[in-house]
Amino acid sequence: MTWWSLVLILVWLVTFVTGQLCFKRAMELPTGTGLKKRKTISILSAGILLMTISFFLNLGLLQRFDLSYLYPFQGLSVIIISLMAAIILKEKLTLRLIVGTLLITAGVALVSMS
Amino acid sequence: MTNNRPSGFANPWFQLGLNIICVVLYELLLKSGASATADPSKSWSWTGITGLESPLTWLAIAVIILDLIIWLYVLKYIPLSIAFPLSRLVDVLVPISCWLILKEEISSLRWCGIALVVIGLVIVAKPAARLEERL
Repeated sequence: MTWWSLVLILVWLVTFVTGQLCFKRAMELPTGTGLKKRKTISILSAGILLMTISFFLNLGLLQRFDLSYLYPFQGLSVIIISLMAAIILKEKLTLRLIVGTLLITAGVALVSMS
Repeated sequence: MTNNRPSGFANPWFQLGLNIICVVLYELLLKSGASATADPSKSWSWTGITGLESPLTWLAIAVIILDLIIWLYVLKYIPLSIAFPLSRLVDVLVPISCWLILKEEISSLRWCGIALVVIGLVIVAKPAARLEERL
């Protein structure tokens, strides 16, 4: 595991999560015309772009690492979502979220050493 | 949850099961496609673009699209805060499939790490899905 791989893994997860959120946002927007339509299309395009980047990074990483090694890192995406909610929605993290987050982080750390 | 839930093949719980099978299947297909084309000596290989040379990767893409359709269908009937935690069953099934099907050698250190991640996900899945619903 090099620093470069770690950066690629984090970019893979962040683009995946933000891409998913873009899709969600685009689907929730009311279908309108003109400016509204343009906004929906641009968010949707951003989502497709982010998901494509995430897909190819995943493929590149799978060419280098075992799936059983790489897969547990996906657990971090739940943490990214919780952090984004904490920042954007000013949501306080519950004890339950913090304990789970620490376990996932510890687990990923063990996997990365294996 | 709606009362007029479709039955048989269209049953959303059955479709949730299909979704789990699809995820495990496309993870294994992607890994097989990536392994078949792995050549770290090539420049820009980290972009993964060479993975497209394998038909297995294309099959994986087809399964991903199918899975996306199934998932959207499931979410029409089952709330995300219930469907998401259940769908995390894949976090157990993927490592087991790596071991049984891909014959990856998984050290006890890695098994312990995987176990911690799974326990952590069990704990956070429901509150995290609630947060995601609002994001």
